[in-house]
Formats: sequence, C-alpha cells, structure tokens
Amino acid sequence: MEDYGILAKKLVEEATAKGAHQAEVYISKGKELTIEVSKGQVETLKNAEEHGLGIRVFVDQKMGYAYTSDFSPTALTTAVERAIANADKTFADSFNVLPKPVLDHRELDIYDPGIEKTSVDEKIQMALQIEKAAKEYDPRVKIIESCTYQDSQYQVTLASSEGIVTGYHGAYCGCFAYVVAEEEGDAQTGFGLQFELKIADLDPVKVGREAARKAVRMLGAKNINTQKAPVVFDPYVATNFLGVLAPALSAEAVQKGKSLFAGKLGTQVCSPLISIIDDGALPGAIMSAPFDGEGVKTGRTSLIEKGVLKSFLHNSYTAAKEGVTSTGNAVRSFKSTPEVGTTNFFIEAGSVSRDELLSGIDRGFYVTEVMGMHTANPISGDFSVGASGLWIENGKLTKAVRGVAIAGNLMSLFQQVDCVADDLTFFVGRGAPTIRIKEMTISGS
Amino acid sequence: MLTMLAKQQLETVLKKALGEGGDFAEVFLERKSTNAITCEDNRIEKVVSGIELGAGIRVIVGDNTAYGYTNDLSEQGLIEVAEVVAKAAKGTQQDVTIELKKVQSPVTSTVKQYPEDVSIDEKVRLVEAANRAARNIDDRVKQVAVGYGDVVQDIWVANSLGTYVEDRRVRTRFVVNVVAAHEGLIQTGYEAVGGHVGFELFQEVSVEELARQAANRALLMLKAKPAPAGKMVVVMAGEAGGTMIHEACGHGLEADLVQKQLSVYAGKIGQKVASELVTVVDDATLPGKYGSLTFDDEGNPGQKTVLIENGILKDYMYDYLTAKKEGRASTGNGRRESYRDRPIPRMTNTFIAPGQSDPEDIIRSVEKGFFVKKMGGGQVNTTNGDFVFDVTEGYLIENGTVTEPVRGATLTGNGPEVLQMIDMVGNDHGFAIGTCGKDGQGVPVSDAQPTIRIPNLTVGGLLE
Repeated sequence: MEDYGILAKKLVEEATAKGAHQAEVYISKGKELTIEVSKGQVETLKNAEEHGLGIRVFVDQKMGYAYTSDFSPTALTTAVERAIANADKTFADSFNVLPKPVLDHRELDIYDPGIEKTSVDEKIQMALQIEKAAKEYDPRVKIIESCTYQDSQYQVTLASSEGIVTGYHGAYCGCFAYVVAEEEGDAQTGFGLQFELKIADLDPVKVGREAARKAVRMLGAKNINTQKAPVVFDPYVATNFLGVLAPALSAEAVQKGKSLFAGKLGTQVCSPLISIIDDGALPGAIMSAPFDGEGVKTGRTSLIEKGVLKSFLHNSYTAAKEGVTSTGNAVRSFKSTPEVGTTNFFIEAGSVSRDELLSGIDRGFYVTEVMGMHTANPISGDFSVGASGLWIENGKLTKAVRGVAIAGNLMSLFQQVDCVADDLTFFVGRGAPTIRIKEMTISGS
Repeated sequence: MLTMLAKQQLETVLKKALGEGGDFAEVFLERKSTNAITCEDNRIEKVVSGIELGAGIRVIVGDNTAYGYTNDLSEQGLIEVAEVVAKAAKGTQQDVTIELKKVQSPVTSTVKQYPEDVSIDEKVRLVEAANRAARNIDDRVKQVAVGYGDVVQDIWVANSLGTYVEDRRVRTRFVVNVVAAHEGLIQTGYEAVGGHVGFELFQEVSVEELARQAANRALLMLKAKPAPAGKMVVVMAGEAGGTMIHEACGHGLEADLVQKQLSVYAGKIGQKVASELVTVVDDATLPGKYGSLTFDDEGNPGQKTVLIENGILKDYMYDYLTAKKEGRASTGNGRRESYRDRPIPRMTNTFIAPGQSDPEDIIRSVEKGFFVKKMGGGQVNTTNGDFVFDVTEGYLIENGTVTEPVRGATLTGNGPEVLQMIDMVGNDHGFAIGTCGKDGQGVPVSDAQPTIRIPNLTVGGLLE
C-alpha cells in the first residue's frame, strides 16, 4: 500500500503543478480467483491480478477525469494531462470540491487472511461440494449449469490535494450454483448463492441444496389465468425490486428531477411496515469499507423509516449543493468518477415468520424469480416483469407457476405491502425479507 | 506500442503456457482507449478519457480451461502468468513447436473517420446540439441526459495452432435520455444509435432528430394509459428492434448452452422449430453495425451463419472450444468483454429475415390487439424457453388501426411456441443496438426484424 500511496501522492502533485486547483488519485489493485466445476472436475479456473488508476481534477471548479491501467511513466503523465484537458470542456460549478481528510481513522474487519491462506485445492473441494450436494438432493437434478467458488482480494489507495493519503485492504468470497431439474421432458432451473467476508462462514452444501430445491419445486410449472390476487415476494425477488428503488433515493436523482421521491421528505411514501437503510460500515457485510470513493467516512443512513421518507444518499457534490454532510455514498471504480450509490442497502426485517406471513392468504402468488427486472423504469417507477414461483392456497405453497407477468408502479407497490417477515437475506450488497403485497394484477392466459 | 512484442516473444509465452501440457494455448492482448462526454442539467458535466491495457492467457486441456490475466505486458510479465495458468491446467507434458502466421480476414473494416482525428470540441458540440433539440420540444421536458462515447480497441491474438491476428475495432455510440413530467406523473424516452464505425456515423444520423424522438416518446407516455393484461394478438413493428428474436431464440442457439443441454433447441438440428415464414441469421459481416466484427476474439474471421431457414433449425453459434468438442469449425462467434474474460459463444448482429407481407396489411388484419412500436431490453431462461421483453412504445390496435398509446408493458412468451406461431412477416427491416449480457460479460450487439404478427402473446399490464 505504501508504494501506491507514494505514487498517488506524486500524481496529485504533478496534476497541481500542471494547473489543477484540486486533484485526487484513486488506485485499486485486485486479485481474483474463480473456480467453476462440472461433473466432478474443474471446468474453468481463473486466476488473475490487475490494477487501475483514476485521476479527478478541478480547474476553476470544472471537473476533468481520466483513467489508465497502464502504469508506465508516459501513460501516467498522459492520464494527468488528459484529465486537465478534459476539465477545460466541462461546466464550472461551485459545488465541485474535494472533501477534507477523515480524522478519526477506524479499522473495519473486512480482510480475512483465511481467504489467502486457504489453498486452491481446498477451494476446488468447496466447489465440488456444491455440485455433490445439489445432485444428492434429488435424482431429478440432472444438469449442473455451473457450480462456482469465487474470491476477490483488493486494495484501495486514495490521495488528494486536500491532504488525504489513505487506503485499506479488503476481501470477500462466495459460492454459487445454477442447476437444472428434469422430469418427463420438463426442465427447470434453480440457483443458490452465498457471499461472505470470512471463508469459514461459507456453506457450499447449503448453496448446492438450495439450488436443487428451487429447481425441483418448479417442475411441472404451468401458466395461470389473468387475475388479481395477493402476491408474496421471496427475499431474492424483494431485493430485486429494492434495487430498482435505489437510484430514486440518491440526492443526485432528486436534484436532477429524476426521482419519484423528490419533494417528499417527511411524508409517508411506503407502507408503515417498510424501513429502508443503507449502511456502509455494517459489520460482516460485503460492501463495508472505512471510507467511500472520495475518502468520506461511511455509516448508517436511515432512508425510509416506518414508511416515512427521512433522507437521501449523498456524495460530496450533492451534499455541497444541498448544504448538508455527505453520507459517504460516493461509489466508484478506477474507471469512474465517484457517483452517488448504495453500499449495504436493505429493507429491515419484520417480526413474523415466513409461514405466518403466508398463513393469511387464501389464494395468492409466491414469486421466486422475475425476468426482465432491468427493464423496470427507476424514474417513472413503472415496471412489468415476467414472473415464476408457486401458487399459494390456504396459506400453503402448492403447484409451480411460470410464464406470467406482474406489472404496476413501485410507489403503489411499496405502499401496498401489508406484511414483512423476519427472514432478511443479503444477496451481495442488497437484502430484503419476504414481503407480502395486498393485491396485484397477474397477467397469464 | 504493443507491436513491440514480436511474434517470437508470443511464441515463447505460448510454449510456456503449454509447459505443463495441454491441447491449446492462447494469448489475447488488448489496448482500449475510450472517450465519453455526458451532458445533463443543461451543461457538460463530464468528459472522461481512459486507457485499458491487459493480456489474458488461456490453456485448454480436454474440456477444462485455465485462464489468467495481467496488466503487465512485458515478456517477463506474460511468462509469469503463462506459468500460473500452465500449473492450473495440469495437462500431460509434451514437446510443442509453434509457428505463428498472420491471418487476414475476408471482412474488411470500413471505418472512415477515427475518433482521435476529431477534436473534443466537435464531439461536445454534437452533445450540446442534441440537448438543445430535446429541450426545445416542450416545457414538460424536465431533464435531458445526452451521452457520446467512442472506443478504439486494438487486439492481438496468438494461439498454439499458429494463428496470429491483429485487429482494430472502432465503435461510436450516442444516447439520449429524456425525462418529461406533468401533473405529478414522470415518464421517460430513450434513443440510442451506434455502430462499428467512427465519427462518420453522424453524417448519416442526425443527433437532433434522435433527441426529438426521445423527447416525443417521453411526452407521448405522459398521456398513455397503463397497458392491458392478458393474452392478445401482437404486431411488432420492423422499427421496434430485435430484442424479441435475441431472447426468444438467439441465446438458445449458442453452442455452449446447447452442449450443456441448457437450451430448448438442443438436439433439434434439421427439425422444424419455427413457422416456415421465419428465417433467422447471425451476421457479423454486415458493414458498420454495432455487432459487426472483422475477427472474433479468438482470431476467427466474422461470418454469416443461417441459424433457422424457413422454420428449419440449421446451425448453432460456436466458439473454438464448443466447435472442437464437435470436431467442427468455429462460426466466428467467440467473443469476450475484455482481456479479463475467457471467450464464449455470443451473438453479433442477429435478425429475422424480411418476408413478403406489407406492414400496413399486417396491422389491418388485427381486429383487437397490441402494437409494439419500440422494444427495450429483455431476458430469457434458455432452459425452458420462457422470455420477456420490455415495450418502450406500445399502442392498442382496434379494427385494423393503431389507436391509443399505452405504457408499462412487458410481453412474455415461450421461445419455441412463439416462433411456431408467427403467421405474418413483413417486407421491412429495422435494427436496434444494445449491450448483451451473459455470464457477467457485456458485448455490443445489434438485432433486427421485419414487422411480424404473433397471434397469442401475454401482455403484462393491469386489469381495470
């Protein structure tokens, strides 16, 4: 880290010497391992290292940016000069300022040395365990699309003309599986996934069994008639919907007139059962880091509390524009400027169990997968997605359903939530519990 | 700068990669230079330039692949990665001789004006012109985001079969996003244009016109009613783009999914999988389209592959590894997002070939139905064939006439069922561009289709 700290500082100095009034250099270095197995053998093994550097400058409060993964002296100088040249073409904005250094530096437990220490052979064994568990779960699990072990170790370095020179190490690891169950010519897929900060917390067998269970229960899935009914989203589907809501909770979207929540601070925007939180320092969570992409301390932001809109996410720019403090939500890679984004972003758990949540439903639709979620419109809130899952009768999950669509608007969807379960589950940086929606249109045959 | 690495050095690296044995080794070097300009809130917000430089090394032993990548492109740096990959591949040691020969593609690039030959000011002026055009349409236009992007990607591929390829890909893209609001309702309009072309793209395309189209769509959607729900006759316009065919059959015809039995089209070569009106083609050789290629990312020339001919399944799309498994030649569909990724079979420019019917007649034939004027993104489950695609501009059809606009609809169906069902195919043809995602890798593609009629498709809307 020391070497990159020196390099970053040197480039900041070079930029200011060449005419930048403020400059910031972000360097990331990463090491990645992916092991994909099939039929008891390693199918693909990927082992790689890379680095990249981004430089942001302000010249007369105009921003310029350039990045490079070529660290030769000429390439680095070119990046500095391009960033300065690019600044000349942009608009001068008095809110373009770099943050001051964080004084109370803290250590987060986000680097597990066990990930580095565990041998590749042991990691191959973990991937093989996923496959074995999936196949043993049920003889109808016939095809393994992929069973994967993956880990990543990274190092972030940041330096700026405001006196920031800092960095941290992090690592995470994960297992995931996509499998197919077959019966009488019908083939259905299922997946399982787990990402953790600590390798000891990974449970490959559980991931394999979960993928198998999800595939098998979808066998024989049929279409249903078009109708209105209560709808339940499992944690994965609820997390997908939450993801579409994320951009609307950024102050940038609000300031640009692109948020459903603009002008609604302090008002009831969701059902009182819904609380939404972003926490960049959440213990044990994958996206936790001591500071954000521009060096601002991360922390917990309560965005929606019991349905009432309390706050938006900020980076230094949006915060300066509004006269507030950044929430530490500048998210970036070396290739991008620090933009407002989420860290560990989730719907808080409720107090009833999933079974209790289901027990109140005579006839309804339990959605376990959605297709085309990326086509939902985060600005208008309109969505229409393909859905599959299980039919609920008298509070119990029954036959499998596929090939239907559900549509609506996110605002009314989250207002209509009438029950939230206690099973908050994270899928990498986002999470949600099972939620129940009072009524939706299900488009079928 | 990369040409510093002589063929001889690449031969040394390849030999190292096969040092512990293996059937095939490959080095992929890449240098990508990008420029992006963004205008939002009525001003130039960002100008970003970047350079990415890296190499990926792959060794195949039987069905198994070892892959590694690095930013260190010195001979020593590459040898170190080659050794790591060789160790991971665990083959049986053997003597190899590799003699690289440069391959020329029959497909020639047609780029006329390279991005680096155009000043940044000229690019900025285009972005500003589009911004003004969209804002001038109506004061209900509340926000306009305009993006310009160019990419010059130089690649070098060398493999143990002796193939050596150098290729330069130039892609230019222009995107307009408009937000319109009125009485508490917000709607959006999106238009994008792009190709395997340089700045000459803007001689054919008016960015002002593109911006007006995006703005008009956002305004139209303000007065659109929510889409209806249930099964109905659907007519898809030629200009709607090709997302439907990309999802309904394109992915299912990629050989990796077929070989793993993850496609409903597996084992169906020679069988009737679609209406006889349907011919589906993947063609990387079309000049200047967003998915066009002189070479794929494994050094095979881009080619035209007829996938479905008059309803009969003819072929799948192959990369080197899937082709080798069947003892046949690659179809030139081995693509990767960057040096970080191993190549897999991917689409290029995929389309339903034009038919005989007059598009007007197709609309006139429908008493009550749904008209798709513009599609957005989509998704497919290749295992069971279920797919969805988003409609960004849709209308009702009543008594043979396109009537009122509706918003917020996704259409969902089953690929093989829908292909069999298509009962009218127009004599028109329209392309749209997109970034296709598979296994976490995004690659530029284009898709197209003529006007078609599908008698029974589920529209995901709302019940009254």
